[in-house]
Amino acid sequence: MELLKMLSTSEIVAQIISFLLLFFLLRIFAWNKVLALLDARREKIAAEFREIEEVKAEVAKIKADYEAQLAAIDQTAARKIQEAVIAAKQVSEDIRKQAHGEAERIIRSGRESAQFELSKTKEVLKNEIVDLVIKTVKGVIGETLTGEQDERMIEEFLQKIEKAE
Amino acid sequence: MNEEQGLPPELPDILKILSKSISSVPIGQNLYLWENIVFSLLVIAVLSFVAYRATRKPTLVPGRLQNAVEVIVGGLDDFVCGILGPKGRKYVPFIGTLFVYIFTMNMIGLIPFLKSPTASWSTTLALALCVFVYVQYTAVKELGIGGYLDHLAGQPRGAMAYTVIMPVFIFFLHVIAELIRPLSLSLRLRSNVWGDELLLAVLSGFGLGGLPLLVFNMAMAVLMGIVQTVVFCILTTIYFALVLSHEHEPTAAISEK
Repeated sequence: MELLKMLSTSEIVAQIISFLLLFFLLRIFAWNKVLALLDARREKIAAEFREIEEVKAEVAKIKADYEAQLAAIDQTAARKIQEAVIAAKQVSEDIRKQAHGEAERIIRSGRESAQFELSKTKEVLKNEIVDLVIKTVKGVIGETLTGEQDERMIEEFLQKIEKAE
Repeated sequence: MNEEQGLPPELPDILKILSKSISSVPIGQNLYLWENIVFSLLVIAVLSFVAYRATRKPTLVPGRLQNAVEVIVGGLDDFVCGILGPKGRKYVPFIGTLFVYIFTMNMIGLIPFLKSPTASWSTTLALALCVFVYVQYTAVKELGIGGYLDHLAGQPRGAMAYTVIMPVFIFFLHVIAELIRPLSLSLRLRSNVWGDELLLAVLSGFGLGGLPLLVFNMAMAVLMGIVQTVVFCILTTIYFALVLSHEHEPTAAISEK
């Protein structure tokens, strides 16, 4: 009962009214406005984050495309280089074959030419030897041989030379 | 004045001084009787002014005052919704108003020549009654009268559902507990604030020698003011949570199955 004497009904009622007054005032000035503002800001931030995530995803996609393109370019370049190497090898092989053929042809031609020159030289040498034999015989025997004798002697001499070779 | 009358010592406040100085006028003699109301109205005026100034031209990029108010409102929103869940948003204005009101009333007692209205049981009981009425209203609104009576009879009952005595006994226990809540809420807050004011009044009587102790106890009073405000608001939130939690029970039961 002593405790209840501390209470004042009029003060309790006045305090209830005061609190309700503050409640309604703050509801108008603070809670509704600020909570709405906080929600709007939260939503804005969330939307911006979503947008950032979308942009990041798009950038990642572009990067992946770019990397895929780079990889494709690399593959193409490698293929082209490979093809070029193969083509170059082919050209080199062709040139080598051509050069080889040309060299063989030159060698063959040289051999033919040498053979021809050798035959020609042999013929000249033969004629010179014949002349020399005729002159020598003429000098030794003091007379000129007849055509038939000359030919017979020369033939014999040449056969001896060929045997000697 | 109080000590001469055998009452506990009190720090002088502006209304007591004014009442003394104009005691010849009839209104002056009883002015100090309304000091709690006057200081409460002062707190209301200050809080309303701050709220008005902070949200007069709200912007997405806030100024200092708007930022401070947003921090308080956002913190209280998180606090209440953290306990009550998303539905708690509805109760943020009520619990938030209680928080800022009680906290400011606790703190103004530390300003010389002002008094904490919360040192009066009438003030704290008025607030506790508001909580009591709002919680009961919420319970009836959310659960219905039958549901609320069922809630008071205790849930879940299990084997007790087949008895009559136990639910009735628990019903009366719950009713008593509900009725005691305003008393416990109001007396806890009032007694702590009043005890601090009393201690500061006693220490201020020690003169300069008691100054370090006075300063230390003022710091403790600040801490106590914060703690008591938080306790009052946590309990209020829990009272709401207790009457709202029944809505989630069927879902919880289904998920358990």
